[in-house]
Amino acid sequence: MSQIKNQLAQLNGSANALFISYYTAQGEPFPNNVDKLCGPNMTDFPPFHANGTEKTKLVELYRMVAYLSASLGNVTRDQRTLNPDAVSLHGKLNATIDTMRGLLSNVLCRLCNKYHVGHVDVTYGPDTSSKDVFQKKKLGCQLLGTYKQVISVVAQAF
Amino acid sequence: MPSYRLQTIRPMAFSVALHPAFLLVVLSLKTSRSEVLGEPFQLTPEILTVSTESKLQQVNLQWTVPNLTHQELKMAFQIEISRINTSNIVWVENYSTTVKWNQLLHWNWKSEIPLECVTHFIRIRAMVDDAKYLPQNSWSNWSSWKEVSVQVSVAPNTLLIFPDNKLLEEGSNVTICLLYGQYLYNVSCMLQKEPIHGEQLDSHVSLIKLNNVVFHSVSGTNIHCKAMNATKMIFGTVLFVSKVLEEPKNFSCETQDFKTLKCSWEPGVDTALVWSQQDSQSYTLYESFSGRRELCDHRNSHNWQITDDSQETYNFTLTTENNLRKRSVNLIFNLTHRVHQKAPHDVTLENIDARKANMTWKVLSRGNNYILLCQIELQHEREVIHEHNVSVHMSASYLFSDLEPDTKYKARVRCADANHFWKWSDWAQKEFCTPEAAPSQALDVWRQVRSENGSYVVTLFWKPLLKSQANGKIVSYNIVVENQDRLSESEHYSVPAPALGTQLSLDPCSYKIHITANNSVGVSPESVMVLSNDSGHEEVHEKRIKGTKDGFHISWEPTSGDALGYVVDWCVHSRDQHCDLQWKNLGPNTTSTNITSGAFKPGVRYNFRIFEKSMQQKAQLLEKQTGYTQELAPLENPEVTINNFTSNSFILSWPSYDSDFQSAFIEGYHVYLKSKEMQCHPKGKRMTLPDYWVLCEYEIKDPEQKAFTVENLRPESHYEFLVTPYTSAGQGPNETFTKVMTPDENSNMLLKIILPMTLCVLLIIIACYWKSQWVKEKCYPDIPNPYKSSILSLIKSKKNAHLIMNVKDCIPDVLEVINKVEGPKTQCIVSGNPHNEDVSMKPPSSVPTEDGSSGSVPFFFFENFTYDQSAFDSGSHGLIPGPLKDTPCQLGLLTPPEKLLNVLEKDYMKSLAESPTEETSLIYVSQLASPMGGDKDSLATNPPMPGHCSEYKMQMAVPGRLPSLALSENNSLTSEILLGQGEQ
Repeated sequence: MSQIKNQLAQLNGSANALFISYYTAQGEPFPNNVDKLCGPNMTDFPPFHANGTEKTKLVELYRMVAYLSASLGNVTRDQRTLNPDAVSLHGKLNATIDTMRGLLSNVLCRLCNKYHVGHVDVTYGPDTSSKDVFQKKKLGCQLLGTYKQVISVVAQAF
Repeated sequence: MPSYRLQTIRPMAFSVALHPAFLLVVLSLKTSRSEVLGEPFQLTPEILTVSTESKLQQVNLQWTVPNLTHQELKMAFQIEISRINTSNIVWVENYSTTVKWNQLLHWNWKSEIPLECVTHFIRIRAMVDDAKYLPQNSWSNWSSWKEVSVQVSVAPNTLLIFPDNKLLEEGSNVTICLLYGQYLYNVSCMLQKEPIHGEQLDSHVSLIKLNNVVFHSVSGTNIHCKAMNATKMIFGTVLFVSKVLEEPKNFSCETQDFKTLKCSWEPGVDTALVWSQQDSQSYTLYESFSGRRELCDHRNSHNWQITDDSQETYNFTLTTENNLRKRSVNLIFNLTHRVHQKAPHDVTLENIDARKANMTWKVLSRGNNYILLCQIELQHEREVIHEHNVSVHMSASYLFSDLEPDTKYKARVRCADANHFWKWSDWAQKEFCTPEAAPSQALDVWRQVRSENGSYVVTLFWKPLLKSQANGKIVSYNIVVENQDRLSESEHYSVPAPALGTQLSLDPCSYKIHITANNSVGVSPESVMVLSNDSGHEEVHEKRIKGTKDGFHISWEPTSGDALGYVVDWCVHSRDQHCDLQWKNLGPNTTSTNITSGAFKPGVRYNFRIFEKSMQQKAQLLEKQTGYTQELAPLENPEVTINNFTSNSFILSWPSYDSDFQSAFIEGYHVYLKSKEMQCHPKGKRMTLPDYWVLCEYEIKDPEQKAFTVENLRPESHYEFLVTPYTSAGQGPNETFTKVMTPDENSNMLLKIILPMTLCVLLIIIACYWKSQWVKEKCYPDIPNPYKSSILSLIKSKKNAHLIMNVKDCIPDVLEVINKVEGPKTQCIVSGNPHNEDVSMKPPSSVPTEDGSSGSVPFFFFENFTYDQSAFDSGSHGLIPGPLKDTPCQLGLLTPPEKLLNVLEKDYMKSLAESPTEETSLIYVSQLASPMGGDKDSLATNPPMPGHCSEYKMQMAVPGRLPSLALSENNSLTSEILLGQGEQ
């Protein structure tokens, strides 16, 4: 459990820097319209209830991290193409995804060992491959804005 | 098959009633006539499909010419495109082509406005344009309008921006179209940070035209819009603006080995964009003779393999292309004219000695008839000192001569095709060093001679040999000193390099000095100097010269006609102890020279000596010349001292300057004298200053004059003066004037009188003090010796020998030992308390007196002479200030109280011992109670009040038996010691 807490703290500590790095790399109008373009208004983001039982929280955490991990993978792919020179952003995205993979493994292990939960149904974000470039930038920014907000709540809940 | 246009048939009125068979006849006749006579006919095209490519904003039109009967016919088509409605024609284009029977024709058109935003309409008409037929004067009828639109649905509160992810070239124009959803209005857009404005096409569409777009980033340029009623929602798109593809520059191809052609060019800017919008431009080489096309593996070069040895001429087309543009350059050449020879190989240097070396090399040859041109260079310290071209077949050699010994060289060679020069090959090079040789030049030597303790101190100087003269590293300098007076005597000295001088101490004889330089190979030619007996003692006149900023022009008069040459020497640092002697050797026919040096400084005096060298190598001093490159004003004023200072004159004097420290030749001095309301000497220049001050300026034109007398001054007046030297460049610094004040006229006289007088008085006082006891003893002793008294002489004269009583004649009947308490105590009666003075009183004894009376005269001892009120009250006669009833003696002072007491004590004891019959009583007198300045009446009648006693004053004691104190007439106290009342 301590590893999970540490990983959550690590994600929480790096989320804001990732967010800033992302919207800066997108160019105008993103840095000056963060609230409008990157607001946490994603409708399909998995819910998390901080006042639930540990089992519930772990299940919800698993769903959320699985969602984030997949979405960030798409964002990373898009940014490699769209902003090939934004090496710092790529590094932060990769590091976040790596941590999330480790966290997923630990959460699942905890669920399995303690609560005998071997499988959790997960959802993923919408397919953005058909979206235009501006929309991809915007969706990525919204995702990271939501992630930054949610991860602080999650980190405090454990 | 022939075709017919029904529209062209004009039925006659009567034909309505005609039989169809008649119509057929007519028709057949008309058709046959058109074909035969070539009459124009009309063919109306038929639009089959109208499609769109939204991304390219392109409309594709497909049509046919249905009634075409010919196999092939040249036709012209006119296509019209209207926007929004059919009457708004925005494009008309004529398109000519050869139409085959049953052919499907294509044409496309790119709209500047995204097709999603507005509906377009398209129609077409045709005209036969074939020379084989009669020219048709009119177009066919238009086809029907076809609507062209791309259907998009815009959700409420949504904005769609077209085109999306548009790729375009920098500098081009683009029209952005906005489609508003329901409830959105007043939309504003920005390109990155710049606002952009458009025109409203209808309530749901607006257009923004961007002209001359600029490249912003390979990541594209963001355009974002927001509606005024939904500011929280931002919609956007990305424009991918590419840089303009540039034409490759400096395209050229060459070969080194006839197997590969290396083509290179300058590619220009990379036009790649991200998001797979556009890769870097590609480069393709196409050779027209061989028909080969190769995609280049580098942006700026490509190696083209020569596959056909027989091909001599190549025609290359280099094409670069990206998604937006294609550019090409062409190059045609003969292969043999584009040969870039490889660098020569096997370069060696042989037979190297101090003056020459031989270089050999080989080249890559293509046959016996192939001649190369080779360029040879010899470099020394990166500078080309020799260059030569030679023709080479296979190998060659070249001899470098006139080399310098002990020198590093770099020899290099490069070659090119001699017949068709294209480019030089790379250099092939080799470095080498020539060996040393003996020094080739004699040393340039000079000397400085001075006498010291009866011998010569000769300092020899020499300049280092140039590298071209030394021919190697100088190891040492050899000096041989031959005594000309004693030829058998010669001394050898060796001075190791890099010394450039040495000092010899020689006896006062004539010498011949030989100096040579040695390196590892040999010895230089010798330099000879002769020193005669008088060397260093020559006295010649010194001449002043004027220098310039570049140096000095020195000229002299030769004294003999057989001079070997002349030498001019000088010190670089004339002000310093370190002279740094410089000299210049000049030829025999020279009588002047210019001495230049970067070390010459303004305001520094340089002294030049000109020597004439005789045939015997003896140097004789001809002249001394001294001067400045630039004379400066003096930097400091002399220190002036004032001499002979009187009330109306003084003399100013100052020391002379050291000539080496003068910043110019001093031409004189200015003396400034300043005072109030002063009269200047007629030789002076008067200037009036504020506040009635007058300044007198005196000029001393003789620089040797070092004193100036200032006269006609007023006594007891303030004067200020300044002495400053002047040169051709000006006078010295304006320093503060020195202030002086002339003394009083009588002051000297007074001084002459008062001083000796004061000294005399002082001497007298000292003498008096020193002999005061003696004088006192002599003049007014405390107890006069009756034997020495003048009275005695009177008595003696009367022959009365027994008038003076002798002590031993008295026979005491009572002897009393009296204890005396020593030390006075100060006491003061402030209150009415009685004084507890311990006074031991002895009852009066009957002491015989001289006059036989046995008056009761008491005596008492006391410790303190304080004024005693009780005693005063008791009517004791020990205190004087009361009415002196019982003691008719008067007050008087003889000596200070302490002394008096001492004397009294002494005399008292003495009197006890010697004169027991004498009365020894004391009267105690208080000074406080005795206003000495008052008269005796007041003294007697006005005794002091006790309160006055609070001030302690010196008190005195007088013997009670000595009341013979008298006040003189002038109330001053005089003293007189009386021997007894009887004698008073």
